[in-house]
Amino acid sequence: MNFPAAVRTAADSNSTDILAVANSPVLWACAIGVFLVIVVQSVIYMKAARIAAPHIGMSQAELKTSFRAGAISALGPSLAVVMVAVALLTVFGTPAVLVRIGLIGSVSYETAAAAIAANSAGAELGGPTYTQAVFGLALAAMSLGGAMWMIATLILTPLLKKGDSALRKVNPAIMMVVPGAAMVAAFMVLGIGELPKSWIHVVAFVSSAAIMTVLMVIAKKVNRPWIKEWALGIAIILSLSITYAATRL
Amino acid sequence: MSKATELHEALGAFDKTTSRWGRITMIMGLFFSLAAPAYLVFFAGLDIEVAGILTAFGALAAVFGVIWIVEPLTYFPILGASSMYQAFMIGNISNKLLPAAMIAQATIGVKPGTRKGELASVAAICGAATVHLTSLFIFVGLLGTWLVSVIPGDMIQTVQFYILPTVMGAVVVQAIVSQKAPRSAVIALVVSVVVVFIVQLYKPFGLFSTAVAVISTAALAWVLRDRRTLGSPEDTTAESELPEGPVY
Repeated sequence: MNFPAAVRTAADSNSTDILAVANSPVLWACAIGVFLVIVVQSVIYMKAARIAAPHIGMSQAELKTSFRAGAISALGPSLAVVMVAVALLTVFGTPAVLVRIGLIGSVSYETAAAAIAANSAGAELGGPTYTQAVFGLALAAMSLGGAMWMIATLILTPLLKKGDSALRKVNPAIMMVVPGAAMVAAFMVLGIGELPKSWIHVVAFVSSAAIMTVLMVIAKKVNRPWIKEWALGIAIILSLSITYAATRL
Repeated sequence: MSKATELHEALGAFDKTTSRWGRITMIMGLFFSLAAPAYLVFFAGLDIEVAGILTAFGALAAVFGVIWIVEPLTYFPILGASSMYQAFMIGNISNKLLPAAMIAQATIGVKPGTRKGELASVAAICGAATVHLTSLFIFVGLLGTWLVSVIPGDMIQTVQFYILPTVMGAVVVQAIVSQKAPRSAVIALVVSVVVVFIVQLYKPFGLFSTAVAVISTAALAWVLRDRRTLGSPEDTTAESELPEGPVY
């Protein structure tokens, strides 16, 4: 693989040429590192499962069938993620998109996190103030935020395995209401906050929301769950096309 | 050796291997995911201050802090201990990994929650990971990078300028639909409009606007919740209760 962009330009905090730093070889190496870690983990897990299977009356064929069933069912969702990831390549660069959106996080969370981080520095995600330094800050915040999920998993899993009763007693009604409301509010305020910026921002937000609504209604009417899977990617790409057309008016 | 002890030892070995190596690999994944920004902050010659990162992280924690804890708690009963270390590194849990595990269990006819079911879901997640890594590498890593190099500059600029409203427009609708909590959605809308209006009048408030909107919505949604349906503990592990899309 070649890394032309990285070699071409040196880092410049005030440059808005994000991709010059976002596609740097070091970031590629880190992304490939995460890929390899998952490969190693999967190999170790499969081996452990293969050793344990006969003892619980499970044949190797059943294990293989499970692996294959998982692989086939992941095909659609994976390609749906690919579509969204490609749309964000110019905003975060390939390595960060692979790790943050393709793997650990998700497009909704990471985009929101990057926007919040940029705002905290008085800048904006994607605009003229989205410089290399702001990108670095956003990536740091996204990665630290993503790390919190992993750290929570590392701490909570052994506790839950021991059957820690205090954790299980967390009020289920709070668990149902608060996180969902918080997420909707985060996306809503970030989206609505874009509207006063220009009429093209309004076009972007409204067209994307409208396309998503139509797709959700169709998915429900014809009862095709795959439409829901692809809805986000389709809405983002279509709405970006509409927005691009609007900028040329 | 009796059949029961053999079974016990075999499963004990499986649990030991997966929890030890699950943790080790997750810590390695954590290292690589933090190494990338660490390089940009400390070695790339960019002017990024650690104080600024802490501010950004604080703003993020105010918005997402609850989710960091709640998500692992929600998925543990469904995934089981060994798969937790897979799921939170591979990502896309609700829309990809859980369906993969369920389909695998249904294919070989085992029930979730049993030991056979657990092995089937571990294998299914390994299969899903294989497909996912391959398609990401080929279509995003190779083809995507090439695509970005050939599309015109003004198109790239449009994407960069308008990505936030575009993503949020679709995501907010998706979140509302999959949460199935219309009351919270209305509260979030009203709070957001008010907060954005205040930011227009007083720009410095923008620094706290997201956190203020999130915390007020969460508090109001809790106070104004429908007490008839949300008063009693519910079985949150039921399939119908799972979020339908990549909400978090």
